[in-house]
Amino acid sequence: MEKNSMEEFQRSTVPRKNVIEFRPPLYKQRYFFVKDIVNQYKPKKVADLGCGNATLLCMLKFHSCVQELVGVDLLMDRLLDWNSDKLSPSIGDHLGPRDLDLSIVLYRGSAVEKDSRLLGFDLITCIELIEHLDSEDLAKFPEVVFGYFSPGMVVISTPNSDFNPLFPASTFRNSDHKFEWNQTQFQHWASNVAKLYSYTVEFTGVGAPPPWAKHVGYCTQIGIFKKKQPDPGSWILAKPTGSRVSEPEEHAYQVVFTASFPSLQQKHFLLFVLCTEVLKEVEAIRQKYVWIMKRKESSEPESEEDTDSGLVRRPGLFLTDAQVAQIEKSPKPYSVGKRFYVPLKRLIGYPKVNRLVADVSTLRTLLAEGIPMRLNRAHTSVQIDLDPYDYPHDYR
Amino acid sequence: MSGRARVKARGRARSPSPADAPSVPSSSLPTSVDISASEASSTGDFAGTSRISQTRKYGVSPGDARCPFIQRSGKSRRDFTDLDVCTREKLAHVRDCKTGSSGVPVKLVTNLFNLDLPQDWQLYQYHVTYVPDLESRRLRIALLYNHRELSNKAKAFDGVILFLTQKLEEKVTELSSETHRGGTVKMTITLTRELPASSSVCIQVFNIIFKKIFKKLAMYQIGRNFYKPSEPVEIPQHKLSLWPGFAISVSQFESRLLFTADVSYKILRNETVLEFMTDLRQETTMSCFTQTCEKRLLGLIVLTRYNNKTYRIDDIDWSVKPTHTFQKQDGTEITYVDYYKQQYDITLSDLNQPVLVSLLKTKRNDNTEPRVAHLIPELCFLTGLTCQATSDFRLMKAVAEETRLSPLGRQQRLARLADDIQRNKDARFELETWGLHFGCQVSLTGRVLPSEKILMQDHVCQPASAADWSKDMRNCKILSAQSLNKWLILCSNRAEYVTENFLHCLRRVGSSMGFNVDYPKIIKAQEDPAAFFSAVQKHVNPDVQLVMCILPSNQKNYYDTIKNYLNSFCPVPSQCVLTRTLNKQGMMMSVATKIAMQMACKLGGELWAVEIPLKSLMVVGIDACKDEVSKGMVVVGFVASINPGITRWFSRCILQRTATDVADCLKVFMTGALNKWYKHNHGLPARIIVYRNGVGDGQLKTLIEYEVPQLLSSVTEASANTSSKLSVIVVRKKCTLRFCMEMSRSLQNPPLGTVVDSEATRPDWYDFYLISQAACRGTVNPTYYNVIYDDNGLKPDHMQRLTFKLCHLYYNWPGLISIPAPCQYAHKLTFLVAQSIHKEPSLELANSLFYL
Repeated sequence: MEKNSMEEFQRSTVPRKNVIEFRPPLYKQRYFFVKDIVNQYKPKKVADLGCGNATLLCMLKFHSCVQELVGVDLLMDRLLDWNSDKLSPSIGDHLGPRDLDLSIVLYRGSAVEKDSRLLGFDLITCIELIEHLDSEDLAKFPEVVFGYFSPGMVVISTPNSDFNPLFPASTFRNSDHKFEWNQTQFQHWASNVAKLYSYTVEFTGVGAPPPWAKHVGYCTQIGIFKKKQPDPGSWILAKPTGSRVSEPEEHAYQVVFTASFPSLQQKHFLLFVLCTEVLKEVEAIRQKYVWIMKRKESSEPESEEDTDSGLVRRPGLFLTDAQVAQIEKSPKPYSVGKRFYVPLKRLIGYPKVNRLVADVSTLRTLLAEGIPMRLNRAHTSVQIDLDPYDYPHDYR
Repeated sequence: MSGRARVKARGRARSPSPADAPSVPSSSLPTSVDISASEASSTGDFAGTSRISQTRKYGVSPGDARCPFIQRSGKSRRDFTDLDVCTREKLAHVRDCKTGSSGVPVKLVTNLFNLDLPQDWQLYQYHVTYVPDLESRRLRIALLYNHRELSNKAKAFDGVILFLTQKLEEKVTELSSETHRGGTVKMTITLTRELPASSSVCIQVFNIIFKKIFKKLAMYQIGRNFYKPSEPVEIPQHKLSLWPGFAISVSQFESRLLFTADVSYKILRNETVLEFMTDLRQETTMSCFTQTCEKRLLGLIVLTRYNNKTYRIDDIDWSVKPTHTFQKQDGTEITYVDYYKQQYDITLSDLNQPVLVSLLKTKRNDNTEPRVAHLIPELCFLTGLTCQATSDFRLMKAVAEETRLSPLGRQQRLARLADDIQRNKDARFELETWGLHFGCQVSLTGRVLPSEKILMQDHVCQPASAADWSKDMRNCKILSAQSLNKWLILCSNRAEYVTENFLHCLRRVGSSMGFNVDYPKIIKAQEDPAAFFSAVQKHVNPDVQLVMCILPSNQKNYYDTIKNYLNSFCPVPSQCVLTRTLNKQGMMMSVATKIAMQMACKLGGELWAVEIPLKSLMVVGIDACKDEVSKGMVVVGFVASINPGITRWFSRCILQRTATDVADCLKVFMTGALNKWYKHNHGLPARIIVYRNGVGDGQLKTLIEYEVPQLLSSVTEASANTSSKLSVIVVRKKCTLRFCMEMSRSLQNPPLGTVVDSEATRPDWYDFYLISQAACRGTVNPTYYNVIYDDNGLKPDHMQRLTFKLCHLYYNWPGLISIPAPCQYAHKLTFLVAQSIHKEPSLELANSLFYL
């Protein structure tokens, strides 16, 4: 589907008189609208029908709540190779893995064809899609999306023809549009659909009209459909119901792209991130320890810095007072000869470590697997050299 | 609505975020409206999006477009131009045969693979036009790909130029296709060229095919290499991740098309700029924190984790905090915190961090003010290893342990890769449709050159191992040495005892090698760089033969200030030694021996020689590198032998302001060297052979057009009648080719002196590979030699053997080295100047190897 049509462009080229310009551009406002919905409802599984070149998906992949992203479009060919890099995990995704898994799948297919792989979604978006459907397809559309896919939530956007008189051109906004509805037409259609498939619907939009033409409504009208739940008023993430699962698998869509992102749910990445964080933390504690030791040696007057909390607090480490108190209570780091030790019980108090593992025994098990050489014999502390630069140097 | 407008609208839509990092106009510019900037980021199999519009704009007819597919990275493009330079055809004596004959044949396994093509294989290049004209590349390609006429043919298409392996029946083919909107588009496909497999365009297409295949193998492309993120090697204690992978290319070798794959590792740093800053904050006081921070960070390349782009840190703005607002390109104001939350669902943890400033490169060469991007340190990963990291012995050891593969380990990786390519269904399909067959690994025959004898003053030794003959020359006298009578030792009070001890050893080993070392004047100084420097200033005068400084630490400013002063202001040879080195128990004699030899060289002495059959030969080494401090400066070093025995050297170095590593001053240097030679030998050298090191990709043509003429003109001007004959050889230490020798069912590095001058070489060049250094661990890297100019007309065999001989003559190491000694001297000289002196060394030192 060719959406994000030339409306923005058109608008910026019309004479200065009565110029209607949207800032940010309308297509962006639509995408940000969806992002807001995602922020608000935190869906796990999101599908975009008529995803075009997957721009919306590229924006949604950043949301930490989203674990499954699907795009469906008719025109999805080898051209995708150019955009696929943006949907694939990048170096940054490997170095700083997400908390939760994320998989992205793109299908070639039509929004009026059933495919069982789109069952059980929390949110399905159809941004500027329906106006491209001919009457036959439009008739099939509700049954497929609402009846069959039946997601927890559907967001449908379409041009509002009430707004069109404000534009110089009197035709449709895009030559491929089969129709452009006014507010009444859209709301009528949407309400019927909602009623038929037990959804509630509310109407909103993006692209507010100028003050002198308030009556025309938003330039893009949007319907937000929420599936009615047995317990009214609560919006629950959709789950594939038993009856759905037992339905025969229908695979009308063709997979054109898949990507799976590294995450902390995958043990390999958890191990790597944990070991790195622990060693970073231990190194920072060591530096502070050495610094305090040196100050004591030079017998400068004791200051508040030399107290235990001085050892805990460091620049760049954000701790609440409660966290500081917690760490202060735990076993202290110590040195024996040229080795420096930080007890695991102390490490677990640091939020960056605690975020990854909940308890000391898990921490111990993982570290024993990831950096066995850095654990002391009893597996109670992480050990490093007190002075890592104390090694022989070659002469020049 | 014109098609152009439509594309423009879509173009905007394709990149919803105008700049993925909030970019703010630089202060003097009120607003910036560069929307398309982020579009260039789209990566593709073919040219970037911009390419099409360019082709159109200039109305290039595809028939004469030399390289229709322009690679995204400029590097590969430059490579092609290197290969386009045909030097061999001008060298009559090697036109028919460039292989040598001496030495023992040895069978070698390479990292090259056969790519088999049917005999009559050709690539057909077509030009495609559309009626009505379509601006959308996406649509153009979609329509063509989906047309049934072409659907099951192997093809590559960038929107304008189409490549097929099967010829269409007609020279001009008309196809029509329906868009999904119901319109009809007519496509006219016109044959413009038929290309043989060896043409450079075909090779580009092959490289594109392999790029595709590697993506199919779940490899991640960084630069020109492909890495496997699924199998990382992690070194958490150094915050590093290593991704194993390959540097790959397809190119035309001596007689065949071959695929090269060399094992490569990508080093990724798991450290954000914020973490780096907080570590630094802990190390330094607040007063010098910002300064140190800037010193360490400016110029580094960072990777933003959210959009996978790299930026150079040009500045740090300490006054801007993440809670401050900036103006988005649509004019609205937003705080950095909100922007990242909204755009990327990222919550910033440190609200007091400053922002990094990066100047954005503008594609267009118009005069618009450069735009800057503000980056949040917390979201920027450091990339590459800083010089601080590379000097961290433990870190480098950890990296080396993981990345240094033995010949066998390397072979196993290659075998697995070949297996993957052959087994992967998609990869195989891709190859098959193009008619390509991924063949077996190439083996070839090299030759091991005879070993060299080392000539000492009264002794000729045949070293047990050419890699290190220090034991063989124990108690042998060096060729010549000036007696050291008037010299100074500068040391700290604490180091007095070790210094005395060391001096004793030095005098002993000196006398046994024939180098008389008298007792020096010992000066004691405070342990402080300034105190050392002022002691040097106070006590050194031009009568002093040599100054030895026993440095308390390897802090750079001790070394740099002393070297700077003694190399340019008060030219006296100097020798710096670390106290720590002298404290090594049981090593004193060998340390003293090495230092005694260096000192002898710095006084103009000669250590050893090899037999040089050519009676009047001058060899020259040239190297160039960028200055460490002033980035726009290039340091060019020139070292020439000034006696027939090739034991004495004339060394010059200059700093020039240019963007490239091409030398400007060679005429002056060469004339100077010829004058020196004339003074010492009462005539001019019959032959001059120049080894040029430090040449980057794609500079070959410039070298031939710019450097060779400089050398030639000074040679011809030097004498009215018969001038010296000149040869110029480009030396490359880095090449992706590897050779291994099969040995009792395992693989080993080939013996020292192995030459390869067939099959793995290039048809248009007079080139060869020589393995002249030993690698005790890992796989040896052969050095590649390309003779780009040759008046001497030496037989290839003699050229190879002479090159091998010259690898024996580096006086800082009693053994073979990887490149000819003059090159290594030039390298050492440029390194010293680029790292420490940043100034032209005094001419008074030019006659000795003062920089060893």
